[in-house]
Amino acid sequence: MDLSGEYRIPASRERVWEFLNDPDILKQCIPGCEAIAKDGDDKFSATVVLRIGPMKVRFTGNVSLTDKVYPESYRISGEGSGGIAGHAKGGANVRLTQDGSETILNYSVDTHIGGKIAQLGSRLISSTSKKLADQFFGKFTEVASQSVSA
Amino acid sequence: MYSVNYHRASSVDEAAKMLSGASEAKLLSGGQTLIATMKQRLAQPSDLVDLRHISEIKGVDVRGNIVNIGAATTHAEVAGNAALKAACPAICHLASHIGDPAVRHMGTIGGSIANNDPAADYPSAMLALGATIHTNKRSIAADDFFTGLFETALNDGEIIKGVSFDVPEKAAYAKFPNPASRYAMTGVFVAKGAGGVRVAVTGAGSNGVFRWTDAENALSGNFSASALDGVSADADGLMSDIHASSDYRANLVKVMAKRAVAAA
Repeated sequence: MDLSGEYRIPASRERVWEFLNDPDILKQCIPGCEAIAKDGDDKFSATVVLRIGPMKVRFTGNVSLTDKVYPESYRISGEGSGGIAGHAKGGANVRLTQDGSETILNYSVDTHIGGKIAQLGSRLISSTSKKLADQFFGKFTEVASQSVSA
Repeated sequence: MYSVNYHRASSVDEAAKMLSGASEAKLLSGGQTLIATMKQRLAQPSDLVDLRHISEIKGVDVRGNIVNIGAATTHAEVAGNAALKAACPAICHLASHIGDPAVRHMGTIGGSIANNDPAADYPSAMLALGATIHTNKRSIAADDFFTGLFETALNDGEIIKGVSFDVPEKAAYAKFPNPASRYAMTGVFVAKGAGGVRVAVTGAGSNGVFRWTDAENALSGNFSASALDGVSADADGLMSDIHASSDYRANLVKVMAKRAVAAA
């Protein structure tokens, strides 16, 4: 399942890059993120609650940042287990382009969901993935814009 | 299924108290989605507050031009209500095709619209009929109620008491069911009333039920299936899954809309 999109953020590319590497900002933006801790360079462990309709599953897993090209692009990927509910794996390739004083953020997301949650929720996975991606990048744009104007 | 505390409420006020008194309580109104999810251990509420036995929110009332349906009314009760069949047969037809007989005798209209499954039937009827959803706190227009995939305007602790709508001049529902689940792969509810023509589509939109305004415009001048010949639904924003691609669904939207108009 693949998705992509574009957002415009009123901040310089270097600032946006800083935000993309800040665990506190990521925690605010990852939908349902309850906790995130830094385990090492570019590695985090996270607890995320995924809600799809009546389902509510807590995933614990790792988030890592790879393929970093400052301040242009990186890949944020995560892998988590929700116990009996199944597992989820996914990532987003993020690319930043400077446009005057603003930054254009392009992303493409890929997700793989397996186990019981995938069997039962198969008809909902693409809609839900799109919703979660929009929530993440929408919130990120909001947080990044706010901290610039603040 | 994980263990859970079950509470049977006898009034809406009592249900609200039970709900706020528990750590992570869920309302149960038929349980045709929630119980199945809990059995799979994909949800773990601490408490369930059952609304199905609250007599004040059960039953159908047709008075003059206004229909009231209590939230705890089952699909089978809606399907078989004689007064409603005389006033708005489309909604009885819709209810008679939800799931299977077991689902129709347990599931309720309140449960269906509160869950707002993107493929549920009732949300399309509420939207097309311009219904009002009444809760224990306020009344919400259907246009403001369904806010997205499994999302509604309901706040935490808010309980649906019932829905009401004006009897339409003409209305019909046509759906293409998934052969296994009977969920709508695309369902279109068309209604013509004092407020004009409204067309609501379920089962197709990635973000849940939506109004198809192009069709509404085409039908407002000429309420006939041929008025939709030149209109086509945009596949962008429609669901795509193993059962049907978004292009296929876009075509279904038009076909179901035409069938609904012809049946109205």
